[in-house]
Amino acid sequence: MLVIRMIPLPCSRIKHRAPAALLQPATSSEMDRGQEPQAAAARGVEVSLRRFDLADVDAMMVWASDPQVAAVCRWEPYESTDPLLAFIRETVLPHPWFRAICVGGEEERPVGAVSVTPTADACRAELGYVLARAHWGKGVATAAVKRVVATVFAEVEGLERVEALVDVRNAASQRVLEKAGFRREAVMRKYCVLKGQVKDMVMYSFISTDSLVE
Amino acid sequence: MDTITLRRFDLADADAMMSWASDPVVTAFTTSEPYESVEPLLAFIRDTVLPHPWFRAICLAGDGPVGEVSVTPTEDRCRAELGIMLARAHWGKGVATAALKRVLATVYANLDGVERVEALVDVDNAAARRALEKAGFQQEAVLRSYCVVKGLLRDMVIYSFISTDTLVE
Repeated sequence: MLVIRMIPLPCSRIKHRAPAALLQPATSSEMDRGQEPQAAAARGVEVSLRRFDLADVDAMMVWASDPQVAAVCRWEPYESTDPLLAFIRETVLPHPWFRAICVGGEEERPVGAVSVTPTADACRAELGYVLARAHWGKGVATAAVKRVVATVFAEVEGLERVEALVDVRNAASQRVLEKAGFRREAVMRKYCVLKGQVKDMVMYSFISTDSLVE
Repeated sequence: MDTITLRRFDLADADAMMSWASDPVVTAFTTSEPYESVEPLLAFIRDTVLPHPWFRAICLAGDGPVGEVSVTPTEDRCRAELGIMLARAHWGKGVATAALKRVLATVYANLDGVERVEALVDVDNAAARRALEKAGFQQEAVLRSYCVVKGLLRDMVIYSFISTDTLVE
């Protein structure tokens, strides 16, 4: 099972380069067209989550090919849509919870993706997200994450804990999680390796009994 | 207290291993069920223990194994997870603490690329937590609703000892 580390969203106010959360695009299944998109407003940001479709590949290329977005993720920027389509088919399509982030009413093109990936324990899953650079610093990620915790516990059987790991230097992403109601549990020292560098990561969690933030 | 030594396991250790692996009190805080016969334990030694990058028998001076300790690399090459089990007859004597100190003194030289050894312990497992703390591990957090053990949702405490931490004498 692919465990996707959440990389924080860069904020335009942050001087140092903050990692971008990267979610590998989820594939939308052919069967889910009838589902109502879930919408949430957060401080004027209208965000809706829906399943991906293979037709979303061009929208996905916007962030998947962006070296600034890829810089803090485990993968290299995509250079063509063929490998991205393969990724959608092989990883996103079978994924248990992968959603496209859409903003605004009429604009149906995804501007990012968010996923909740199960771990070895059914009660625990890991959050990841990615956003195209044009939508950084506007509260889109916060709105999307709020929508995730409002819905995912009802949708994934046995899920009790959603956790997220954020680079200790990524203040912007830490703020996204804190604003969405996650609790900061720990700094885990020398936790993982990202593109050859050993990182300290902050562990955040939102459990099923935590209160949603409006 | 006797000196403890760590050595590799052998299939011939299966009977000694049964003394802790079959004990439901020892396995209570773990996700394992106690072994009821030696055959599946032999398979475990053959398939998991012998090929494992770092799995050791805890021995008291001159005697056979009284427990096991393992350090298992994760999907990140810098991070490995510790596991330890001790036969109940040897609890409360400092054996686990001594074994943990010995692990930390040697494992970093043995496992290439590992910079962090972590241990996840049930929040109610006071004896294990004390042993880790006395051996120099640092508590980083309580992870809420972390996993299900024997049908119950548990909070787990995460401890770590990183390669630059100071060994406790």
